[in-house]
Amino acid sequence: MFGMKKILPGFAPPLKFSYDAVLIGGGLHNLATAWFLAREQNMNSVAIIEKNYIGYGGAGRNTAIVRANQRTRENIPLYKEALDLWPVMTRELDFNLMFYNCGNVNLLHSEAAVKAARVNVATARLMGVESHLLDAAETQKRVPALNLSHQITHPVHGAMYHPPGGIVRHDAVVWGLARGAAENGVHIHQQTEALGIETENGKVTGVRTSAGTIATPRVLVSAGGYSAGLIYHMLGIKLPISVLTIQAMVTQPLKPLLNHVVSSGAYHVYANQTLKGEIATGAHMDPWPNYTTQTTAGYIKHQAEALIELLPCLAGVKFMRSWAGLADMTPDMAPIMDGNDPVEGLFMNCGWGYFGFKSCTAAGRHMARFVATDQCPDRLKPFTLRRFENHRLMGETAALVNYTPDN
Amino acid sequence: MSLLIQCPICGRRNGYEFRYGGEDKGPYPDGPSISPAQWYDYVHANTCRAGVVREWWCHRQGCGLWFTLFRDTGTNVQVSAPEGEQ
Amino acid sequence: MKRRLSLPTRRVDLQRRIPFFYKKRTCYGVKGDTIATALYASGVRIFGRSLKYHRPRGLYSMDGECSNTMMTVDGVPNVRTETTLLREDMVIEEQNVLFSARNDLLGFMDRLDRFMPAGFYYESLHKPAILWPMAAKMVRKAAGLGHIDPGFRFSGICDEIYPAADVCVIGGGPAGMSAALAAAASGMRVILLEARPWLGGSFDYRLYAAGETMPLYEQAGELSSRVASNGGIRVFTRTAMVGGYNDNLVTAVTEGTPEDPFDYRYVEIRTKSVIVATGARERPLLFENNERPGVMQPDCALRLARTYGILPGRDAVFSVGHDFGLEAALDLSDLGVSVRAVADVRKDGHDPALLEEIHRRNIAFFPGWAAALAEGNKKVNSVRLSQIGTGRSRAFSCDLLAAAAGHTPACEPLALFCGRLAYNETTGYFLPGKYPPGVFAAGRVLGLEAPTSIRASGEWAGHEAAAFCGADCHAAAKDARKALDGLPGPHAGSNWIAHPGPGRKRFVCFDEDVTEKNVRQALARGFDVPELIKRFTAAGTGPGQGGISGHNLPLLVSALTKKNAAVPTTVRPPLRPVLLSAYAGNGREMTKKTPVHEAQAKQGAVFRRVGSWHRARYFSADLDVTEEVANVRSNVGILDASTLGCFRIFGPDALSALQRVYAGDMSAIRDGRIKYAAMCNHDGCVIDDGVVIRTGTNDYRFTTSTGRAGETGEWIRYHTRFEKWDFHLVNLTDGTGVINLAGPRARDVLEKITDADISNEAFSFGSWRAFRLAGGIPVTCMRLGFVGELSFELNIPASFMQAAWDMLLEAGRDMALRPFGVEAQNVLRLEKGHVILGQESEQRTNLLDLNLGFLWSRNKDIKPVGADALGQAESDPNRLTLTGIRMADTHAVPPDGSVIVNNAADRRVIGYIGTIRKSAAVGAVVGMALVEGPYTREGTRLAIYDGHSNMNVFQHATVVRMPFYDPEGERMRI
Repeated sequence: MFGMKKILPGFAPPLKFSYDAVLIGGGLHNLATAWFLAREQNMNSVAIIEKNYIGYGGAGRNTAIVRANQRTRENIPLYKEALDLWPVMTRELDFNLMFYNCGNVNLLHSEAAVKAARVNVATARLMGVESHLLDAAETQKRVPALNLSHQITHPVHGAMYHPPGGIVRHDAVVWGLARGAAENGVHIHQQTEALGIETENGKVTGVRTSAGTIATPRVLVSAGGYSAGLIYHMLGIKLPISVLTIQAMVTQPLKPLLNHVVSSGAYHVYANQTLKGEIATGAHMDPWPNYTTQTTAGYIKHQAEALIELLPCLAGVKFMRSWAGLADMTPDMAPIMDGNDPVEGLFMNCGWGYFGFKSCTAAGRHMARFVATDQCPDRLKPFTLRRFENHRLMGETAALVNYTPDN
Repeated sequence: MSLLIQCPICGRRNGYEFRYGGEDKGPYPDGPSISPAQWYDYVHANTCRAGVVREWWCHRQGCGLWFTLFRDTGTNVQVSAPEGEQ
Repeated sequence: MKRRLSLPTRRVDLQRRIPFFYKKRTCYGVKGDTIATALYASGVRIFGRSLKYHRPRGLYSMDGECSNTMMTVDGVPNVRTETTLLREDMVIEEQNVLFSARNDLLGFMDRLDRFMPAGFYYESLHKPAILWPMAAKMVRKAAGLGHIDPGFRFSGICDEIYPAADVCVIGGGPAGMSAALAAAASGMRVILLEARPWLGGSFDYRLYAAGETMPLYEQAGELSSRVASNGGIRVFTRTAMVGGYNDNLVTAVTEGTPEDPFDYRYVEIRTKSVIVATGARERPLLFENNERPGVMQPDCALRLARTYGILPGRDAVFSVGHDFGLEAALDLSDLGVSVRAVADVRKDGHDPALLEEIHRRNIAFFPGWAAALAEGNKKVNSVRLSQIGTGRSRAFSCDLLAAAAGHTPACEPLALFCGRLAYNETTGYFLPGKYPPGVFAAGRVLGLEAPTSIRASGEWAGHEAAAFCGADCHAAAKDARKALDGLPGPHAGSNWIAHPGPGRKRFVCFDEDVTEKNVRQALARGFDVPELIKRFTAAGTGPGQGGISGHNLPLLVSALTKKNAAVPTTVRPPLRPVLLSAYAGNGREMTKKTPVHEAQAKQGAVFRRVGSWHRARYFSADLDVTEEVANVRSNVGILDASTLGCFRIFGPDALSALQRVYAGDMSAIRDGRIKYAAMCNHDGCVIDDGVVIRTGTNDYRFTTSTGRAGETGEWIRYHTRFEKWDFHLVNLTDGTGVINLAGPRARDVLEKITDADISNEAFSFGSWRAFRLAGGIPVTCMRLGFVGELSFELNIPASFMQAAWDMLLEAGRDMALRPFGVEAQNVLRLEKGHVILGQESEQRTNLLDLNLGFLWSRNKDIKPVGADALGQAESDPNRLTLTGIRMADTHAVPPDGSVIVNNAADRRVIGYIGTIRKSAAVGAVVGMALVEGPYTREGTRLAIYDGHSNMNVFQHATVVRMPFYDPEGERMRI
């Protein structure tokens, strides 16, 4: 039952002089892309370049919620595919990703929120994703600890309930993908920093790293919050991204209390109980860019205030750890997945904000197709970088975002 | 993290009194109409630099002034102007 | 057991007995007891069971380093009983046990460790696939320590304070107190935080020290009385620092006593300088069964006796690696514990004075030896000591094993301020490489052990901190440094962890039941840095927050991998578990009420939150508001619209500023006329709409939507920040009340309370007038048509709102005037095709999409914000566009947010409904939707899906022209 072979590949073979593709960033998206490149695209000469260690960034800092009840018809199929992939990947990687299919309850606190949720629910259902609107009483049946009082700041009107969602053990995904990729010949170079991308006549020719220069015709940058800064630093291409620090925290472990992922837009809160029993919660970002991954005093306090209004019994529970990660936010809350424009051989997969975890498997699979064939898969076409200058924002968020000066 | 910001009028204050207003990109491009690429570059594109950046901030819960400052986005601390810039 | 020694160091009051309930029987502690000491004094040795293996666990430490003694207290789970003060009638229960902690029916789990190697769940339980969902449920039930009832309600009182200081000293031991006194001597405002109920730190319960004439506890007493009488020092006891942030913000939580007016107090301190003087804890020693009840830290054993007057055991064995361990053995021996043997991992380097005392008392001493095995089923009954390197061993029977490998600094606050710590070769401690400006450390946290050095380092840090804050004390700081340099420096620490060996139950982390073997397993699987091992094994992620494993795990990994210096794992706030209610304090979000809130409440209003405001949404239980709507259409109603933003802008360049932010041409406003206007952002998307009037030369007033009032000032200043325009902007929102008097009889009502000529000839639609109500109340009145009837929008100083409201109700009494709410207004304006931003528009909806192109003036001198984007997007025919729809069925009203699909076969979503209502006035179900351009032609048939009914059955609607009601707008103009 317990093989003693290594899960983490440890030191990869020495850096080769050239690779068919170099992926900058050892997070989930590139690990998944590498795995699919090797498994589905027969591209085996692939290197992942990671400055720190795999899973150091957002991959290890998110609260592991997965769901597919997005808002637009461009996004839903991608997230649905990703959601459907968890059991498949568990089998293929032979590694327990611990997909816990508990369903998501997104609380609604006004008539307007119910209306906004209906757009999501109706669109999702038409696209084959199960989603329901619940009234307040039905919501409380699902979440017995919920406060239905009208005396709270944002009384609960109902919820959007999405049974196929849940949580996945994020570290398991990192390790499973890394092990799988390495077994399929991918070189994972940790503690190796990408310093520059070399181009000639508008085409990528190589990557300079702290361990030496690699010749390659294809580079995929998917380094989470660091992507936009790297691309600007290395190629002078500016992206429509703001990098914010997003925080999360856990309580001490409890016997089962929450049976679903519970979230609330009005309170800026999500809460789910991990398999270990901790209640993981978070959501807030200070609306200005920073790369610190430091937490703030104000936020943990806000989180406590919000949670004990919504779930009053949590007043008797203690926070024990908080942390932060980076979220690379775009103006329309949808990612940028693009390639060969404006530089041939340069691919990018970034701008996921705080949705990068849920989507990593599907995004990796399609990016692998894109990188291997130079043909942008239809599913990725709406996520082009050019949509911004063409005034075609995606509409993944109905309301104005608050981290740009533009509202 | 607990940013403090020096407002030119009100002095050093809690960062939450302020509103961030983006990387300083200078005035909006001149001319009766500009190209989509120019527009995108001004309105949406950022350098996303991890380091000292000149930014706009507004003392929204104070005097209301918009001003620029230098902040190290790697540490989230306001810093003095780098040499050669004021 | 002999209860309660009488000692000068004792902190409990034996005369004041405190009853409490433990496992449903009444027990007694005394005032000053923590829950754990009261239980220990009552003979309780097994406090609970461990998470995974259900091993018995007992009192091990005194400052809450592990979950061993966590219990459920008054319904609150996971309470650190070691640090929580006993209160009368507390109800104390065991956790994570089936039956009882003593006889836990899940105790057999301890024998299953072979089946649960590190991270076993990653590679099992997923095959076959059907196994995992069931296994996950079982894992959930087995995991988690305490239980909280969903109906639990916290009844304590929580508050919060935000003091400021020049110097904040963390830790009220001798170093911290010396630092506070030194800083205060230079006139600094000092805050001193101490987690325990009293100052004194380790001096509080210690006697001995080489070369000291005064016992340490007396030195502590002397220092604390000086601190208490110093007006410059504000002391917070029972206040643990929980967070440290950059720019030197410190957060802490005070636990109240029954005498305090609060149970928990959140303390957020803004300080210029921070001194960390948090001292040291004991570093656990690894050996087989190193957490068996009866094994405890020497410090814990000593404090039980010295502070609480309880003899920790009868027959004790010590296995230590530091002088303090020897000191504790001696003191406990003198207090009546029979010390059978003392092993010390160090072969030499002991304090000779202590050795002499040990020999003088004929205590068997074993230098270069350490505990290898604790035996005893549920409690320790014997210990095997073993010589390091030779394997020679000897067994001793005992009921107490005081064990520690040495000291470890309580350096977590330093890690928060200074970032990652580095291994220090001298002390074996993790210490900062460099300190950020204004952050200092003093005392035992730096590895100092000589009492004189501890105090001197505090004095030095205090002077340095004062100097950092600008005090003129550089000379004093220099002198203090010189004095410190002449005293004994940091002590050499041991980094010894355990005998090498095959033991299966040598616990690196108690909370998560992580053994040394598990760490080896993780290494074998390729996890080679402590941070990853922490994630893979969960060591240090439990409620003890790394208190047990924090120092040993990196040392162990370094020793096992033989390659790297020890690297500590990341420290994250809160440093102690904090109740959510303690964090929340008394904080409540602020909301605003309009001047006639109470009046409307009396009239039956149902309120909803809109932005920061409460607005009356309904005036009856009828959520279709049929009567409210009908009354406006056929009679007259009043609406409180005070939440609308209201601004004055004036000055020579006021017009330029308006031209910049409004899409339309504001220079075209005529005297007495109202201009409807919209603001766009750079994307051309509409962010606000309202009206603008000119009240004088270079003097304008304008309104904004409810949600935008807060942002409008900074918006206008932002978009004019490069121009040196001269204008002033005043937000009048909170000072202005607004009443909309609307309906065919509106004029009849208003005429009764004003002398002004408000006839249609003198005061026509689209104009405004200033006049007085009842000869006194000044109003600015606008004739607007948002609801589509004759209406007067009265802007009234907030202080007159109540009077005006009452006056209007009185004047309209015989005309059946009644208030209407926001939902009625919603229906009325829908019938008119008037948009509410955010309801019929979304983030990406631009001015043209809303058919409001007439509000954009293309040829202004000053290019308005958003003009370029509007121009560039103008030719895109596929944009989501505001579209009027009429349902085919007059009875079926699909809910707002229903989506529109191209046809029932294809089901491609091409838009959604913003607002849709059954309109009595129109005689149909009509709505406004955002629909993709190609489907907006009049007469187009659209299929509608509401999100919950059968997906094969669609409702149908037709695109129709707007407005639905009174298309010529005649009713507004009467």
